[in-house]
Amino acid sequence: MNAWLQHLPVVPVIVPLTAGALMLFLPEARRLRAGLGILAVLMQLVTAVLLAYFTSDAASSIWPQGIGVYSIGKWPAPFGIVLVVDRLSALMLVLTATLALASLVYSLARWDRAGVNFHPLFQLLLMGLNGAFLTGDLFNLFVFVEVMLAASYGLLLHGSGATRVKAGLHYLVVNLVSSLMFLIGVALVYGVAGTLNMADLGPRVAALLPEDRGLFDIGATILGLAFLIKAAAWPLNFWLPSAYTAAAAPVAGVFALLTKVGVYAIIRVGSLLNESGVHGPFGSEWLFVAGIATIVFGIIGMLASQQLARLIAFAVIVSSGTLLAAVGLDADVMTAPALLYLVSSVLATGAFFMVTGMTERMRTHYFESSDQAPLPQVSYSAFGMEDSHDPLDVEDEVGIAIPAAMAFLGLAFVSCALLVAGLPPLSGFIAKFALLSAAVDIAPLNGVHSWVFMAAMLCTGLAALVALTRIGMRLFWSVVGRNTPRLRVIEAAPVAVLVLLCVGLTIAAEPVMAFLQAAADGLISPQTYIDAVLATDPETVADAGGA
Amino acid sequence: MSLVLIVLLPFIGSLIAAFLPSNARNAEAWLAGIVAVTCAVLVADLYPAVASGEVLRVVVPWLPQFGLDFYLRMDGYAWLFAMLVTFMGALVVLYARYYMSPADPVPRFFSFLLAFMGAMVGMVLSGNLIQLAVFWEVTSFTSFMLIAYWYHLSDARHGARTALTVTAMGGLAMLGGMLLLGHVAGGYDLDRVLEAGELVRSHPWYPAIVILVVLGALTKSAQFPFHFWLPHAMAAPTPVSAYLHSATMVKAGAFLLARLWPTLSGTEIWFWIVCLAGLLSLLLGAFSAIFQRDMKGVLAYSTISHLGLVTLLLGMNSRVALVAAVFHMMNHATFKASLFMAAGIVDHGTGTRDLRRLSGLARAMPITATLATVSAAAMAGVPLLNGFLSKEMFFAETVFAGEGPRGHIALPAMATLAGMFSVAYSLRFIHQVFFGPPARDLPRTPHEPTRGMLLPSALLVSACLLVGILPSETVGPFLATAARAILGDAVPTYSLAIWHGFTIPLLMSVLALVGGFFIYLYLYRHRAHGRTPLISRIDGRRTFDVMIIRLIRVAGFVQRLISSRRLQPQLVVMVCTAAVAALVGAHTGQVAWGPMPVSSVDPVFAVLWVVGAVCAIGAAHQAKYHRLAALIMVGGVGLITCLTFAWFSAPDLALTQITVEVVTVVLILLGLRWLPRRIEMDDPRRRTLRARARRLRDMIIASVVGVGMAALVFAVLTRERQLDLARFFVEHSLPQAGGGNVVNVILVDFRAFDTFGEITVVGIVALAVYALLRRFRPAPESIDLPRAQREDTERRHPSAVDPNELLPPGYMMVPAVLVRLLLPMAGLISVFFLLRGHNLPGGGFIGGLVLATIVIVQYMVGGTIWVEARTRIKPLYWIAVGLLLAGTAGMAAWFIGGTFLTSFTYDLYLPLIGELHLSSTLWFDIGVYMLVVGATVLMLVALAHQSLRSYRRPVATSSPSVRAEVDRTAEVSR
Repeated sequence: MNAWLQHLPVVPVIVPLTAGALMLFLPEARRLRAGLGILAVLMQLVTAVLLAYFTSDAASSIWPQGIGVYSIGKWPAPFGIVLVVDRLSALMLVLTATLALASLVYSLARWDRAGVNFHPLFQLLLMGLNGAFLTGDLFNLFVFVEVMLAASYGLLLHGSGATRVKAGLHYLVVNLVSSLMFLIGVALVYGVAGTLNMADLGPRVAALLPEDRGLFDIGATILGLAFLIKAAAWPLNFWLPSAYTAAAAPVAGVFALLTKVGVYAIIRVGSLLNESGVHGPFGSEWLFVAGIATIVFGIIGMLASQQLARLIAFAVIVSSGTLLAAVGLDADVMTAPALLYLVSSVLATGAFFMVTGMTERMRTHYFESSDQAPLPQVSYSAFGMEDSHDPLDVEDEVGIAIPAAMAFLGLAFVSCALLVAGLPPLSGFIAKFALLSAAVDIAPLNGVHSWVFMAAMLCTGLAALVALTRIGMRLFWSVVGRNTPRLRVIEAAPVAVLVLLCVGLTIAAEPVMAFLQAAADGLISPQTYIDAVLATDPETVADAGGA
Repeated sequence: MSLVLIVLLPFIGSLIAAFLPSNARNAEAWLAGIVAVTCAVLVADLYPAVASGEVLRVVVPWLPQFGLDFYLRMDGYAWLFAMLVTFMGALVVLYARYYMSPADPVPRFFSFLLAFMGAMVGMVLSGNLIQLAVFWEVTSFTSFMLIAYWYHLSDARHGARTALTVTAMGGLAMLGGMLLLGHVAGGYDLDRVLEAGELVRSHPWYPAIVILVVLGALTKSAQFPFHFWLPHAMAAPTPVSAYLHSATMVKAGAFLLARLWPTLSGTEIWFWIVCLAGLLSLLLGAFSAIFQRDMKGVLAYSTISHLGLVTLLLGMNSRVALVAAVFHMMNHATFKASLFMAAGIVDHGTGTRDLRRLSGLARAMPITATLATVSAAAMAGVPLLNGFLSKEMFFAETVFAGEGPRGHIALPAMATLAGMFSVAYSLRFIHQVFFGPPARDLPRTPHEPTRGMLLPSALLVSACLLVGILPSETVGPFLATAARAILGDAVPTYSLAIWHGFTIPLLMSVLALVGGFFIYLYLYRHRAHGRTPLISRIDGRRTFDVMIIRLIRVAGFVQRLISSRRLQPQLVVMVCTAAVAALVGAHTGQVAWGPMPVSSVDPVFAVLWVVGAVCAIGAAHQAKYHRLAALIMVGGVGLITCLTFAWFSAPDLALTQITVEVVTVVLILLGLRWLPRRIEMDDPRRRTLRARARRLRDMIIASVVGVGMAALVFAVLTRERQLDLARFFVEHSLPQAGGGNVVNVILVDFRAFDTFGEITVVGIVALAVYALLRRFRPAPESIDLPRAQREDTERRHPSAVDPNELLPPGYMMVPAVLVRLLLPMAGLISVFFLLRGHNLPGGGFIGGLVLATIVIVQYMVGGTIWVEARTRIKPLYWIAVGLLLAGTAGMAAWFIGGTFLTSFTYDLYLPLIGELHLSSTLWFDIGVYMLVVGATVLMLVALAHQSLRSYRRPVATSSPSVRAEVDRTAEVSR
């Protein structure tokens, strides 16, 4: 392998950091910042696709077993921090970059001007996400989750307004508590098992004395709870609807991915701990119950929502719940379908949040919905005149408006609705079908669980349909108070691309599923991963720090 | 190949139709017509192959891992339906060309109509159960869009929504059923499922499969108790009603039941569920149809009734009944579609469909009247028309199917009764509209429509006649092919002849005709129109609407019950969940203190900790009522922590702790100034019982969790440490990382990546704080000057400070001199800490905080305006440079063959200075240093500018500096 290509795993972290830092030098040069941002995200996308290619069977010569290990500072695992690229990581990276590109392009239409430092924060959010998906170290995971969260605090406040500030502060406090729990969990795990390396953890836990085991389980449980808060499992998810509803459309678009970091962590750490049979949220029974409760909560929330963005926020919760329940079924056949569902639901909810940004402009008089306590309308003029970033002042730049805006919006809404509800013929259905099919296959073994899961999945579809029809009809078919918004190509195209990607997932279901199955196999038998990470090369230790 | 084309063409047509201009009525109609006719010809072309018993197949792998292929499969039965769908589609397109008004946006109409056609053909040709479900849902969706075509009408919107909800619900149930069925049969492809009949029927899941699949079929075919959506779907344009809601889509349910008949039928449960639903739909539909006011309403209920008849036949577990069902589906499609077209013509010609207003139209529109009369006669089951044939087969089946003496009489009796109703509403439909005295005061003058509108209807009526008179010559072979496709070699003998001699079915037919005539006569005499007697109270639609509304209300209620938008309850839930989860985790495993001996208590240290504990508890106690006190006590806790670190020989930690503590407490103090006053209700003197209880609860939770945490820490600390990591760090720190201070080496080398991430977090947090405070406006009550400043007469307004004066007047003069003297020394100390970090306690983080502290002090003492007139620190740039330094320090290692953040040293010999030992970790540490300074100062700036902003209003723009503040915030933040 080319000497430079070996550094590829760290590129998804460095590129957004460098881009974000450079942007801080250019506070006024919006266009330059935007160009830099797009360039950075494109680089991340290319890198992610390359990494995915390296992990696939097509390029088996590059990394043995399709797992790339990059030790930071040449310190070998478990002493130093390693970045590990396997198929799951690569998949998440591709997903991140794709969604980010769509969101970023979308934001250029108007949102990036609604506050300061949108672009740097956006890049740093990506740095956090990419790092979290790449790292093979538990504490480093904490660090990158912090990077991601810190950036998300800033982004959530983007655009200002009392609603955002209130939601943002709640979000902040909740996440601080969850970070604290994360830290406690990591500390306990390290204190007992003596390692932070995730691959090293499995064998060490298996070798723990029984009297140490209880303490480790507590640590793992607390750690798992922190992940569950991130993944928005009931009853730890009350923060999500308000936060995601308040966020600006492109921000909510990338936020669709944030909960999946929690899910990813649960899958990843769960897979590595699987063999040692750990209790708590990493144990299947609890996870399944939490997942089903989350689905039910999401369904209720969807039905009760009066606002599209809020409904989608609950759809995000449902998708998290579905994933948790699927993982909690603890069957090998569920993993690959769950990954497909993850990809599809992230793309769908991301696109849907962006659609809300456009549909909101359809209303001539924007009314606060009844389920939202009326908040004092903050007059921006009272906020000081120091900036030219008022969202209300943001005028459309002259750009190419798309014809038939209403038709486009309608189509986009319907596509996203079908995806979210998991109805045919888009990828939402394929994913749901794959999950259900796998659940039926294991039904003879675990009986009630499968049936509950199946019922929950079908009810989700119906509830989403009922709720979305209601809101969609009110949005598109109400006779009064509607105007046709002017849509620009750079707003419409990202949504269209995301939806088309879902169409692509539907059509190319076979190769996609083959890749996901391979990713799932890596999770089902993590020994390859563990061996790859722990393959200590004595030479690396010897000349580390030398030179 | 042509199979794929048959399914694909309509979708391609749909796409093209969507992009035609909105007034291109002719182009749309031509397009749709050509597509429909082409498909019909393609289907017809396949007949010879199908008739010879061949099954045409096209399989494209789709998701083979899950047994899902794109599989088109045409046998005789599918052929018959494909023919029906495409042929009927062509006729409806022709009709719609004239029906739609030039003002209607036709692209949407034809686009969805074609999409529906494609989905419907795809559904009937599906060779895979899941694919069938996919197309099934697509038909539901296109139906929804077509019903709501005139969405400005509330009827259309609600009808569409009801239809979609009901059919989609059934569709999801069916999907569940298909999944189970596929699992039991060992695959989703139809061939396998049809062969696995025995296996499926004996499987324990069989009842669930039947219930779920039948649920899908009943909802789609508008069968009792899900029939209510169909009458409300009549808000759709009439071509849609004729095509979707009488001829094709509503038959999908019956189609499916017949399709899976070989696998699922033949059991008690099938008989009872399917027959009962069919029978009830048959009777209730026919009965309700008599009393409808709307012409389309009559037809809708009649459709429910006729589909009930088909369902009943399918439930009878008899082969002949199956043939009769297929036959009746075809017949119903012909006469009902033609009747719908007639209703549309009447609506067009007169402007109303209200049966009470219409009368005597036969004079004005004789051709329409003739066509409608013949179709209605077919619907009533008059001999020589196709309806008679299948209805007589149905009567015959009821006679044979009934079990026991009661069944023998009850079933035929009910069938005859339904026949009577059917005759009655057919009579009423025709007599009311076309006969009697000519109606007056109609919205429009009735007139015969253009030929294009009559032609489709005429074709259908001639089909009714042809089939009715020469059944075995016309429809016979097709029916035989279809029956063979379903039943294989077990096709029963049946006769399509008109005359079977004097039999019981004939008697029933005669009875139905005569009885129906008298029923209508009676009703006509008594003018009993409007409300359906007896069952008008049972309004499925209203029940459904109420259910949906209740569901939404209950959802809102439950949501409030199980979640909270308030922060405190959320946190309580989180902390309690964590506590419970930890307890459960502890419960399932063994938890024990570690074996390490506990050292004796040092009294000094104990006192230290008592102070710390008191501070901590005090802070919690005061947090709500006295923020300043609480903050001071938090500072105390921090100090004790710092001393603890020092006590246990962790100088790096102690240094970091003390600097972090100072900076954060000061920053919070500065922020505290702008918080709104506490809520009076929470005043301790006015505490209510409720508030007390809440505080007690919180205290208990806090104590439990705190004690738990302490126990956990104790358990970890008393344990034998896993030392291999620590040993590695200690052993490799000096020889390989070149640093004597292991803690610092861990931070900047072993785990530099963590530091790298954490400094990014610090930078981001600063940006976020800036974003938040940039728009912050303090609460009104905190805008006034604090008392100390008000009483100081010499003190001027913060924004009125002259940036050029040397020292602030008043009591701040002396501190100002002191802190200015302190600045260079503190700067020096900070650099000292930075540089010595690698080998001795210190490092970039500590150094940066030291510098930041002195900058903060400058702000506090000198005032924002004064400091910023002289500031050299542009926080945003410092953050950026810090991040870039750290990043490049990592990347530089690439050029010497290391990985990211590999440390390396460079020994430089400079004249005079001597040997210089440069390490990349220092480079990295400088990045940390700069970032920490930048981030802290940025937060400070954001806070400091509050004082300028809040005074803007009272003093207006008296001072030029206020105006300058506008630019300054932006500039300084850089």
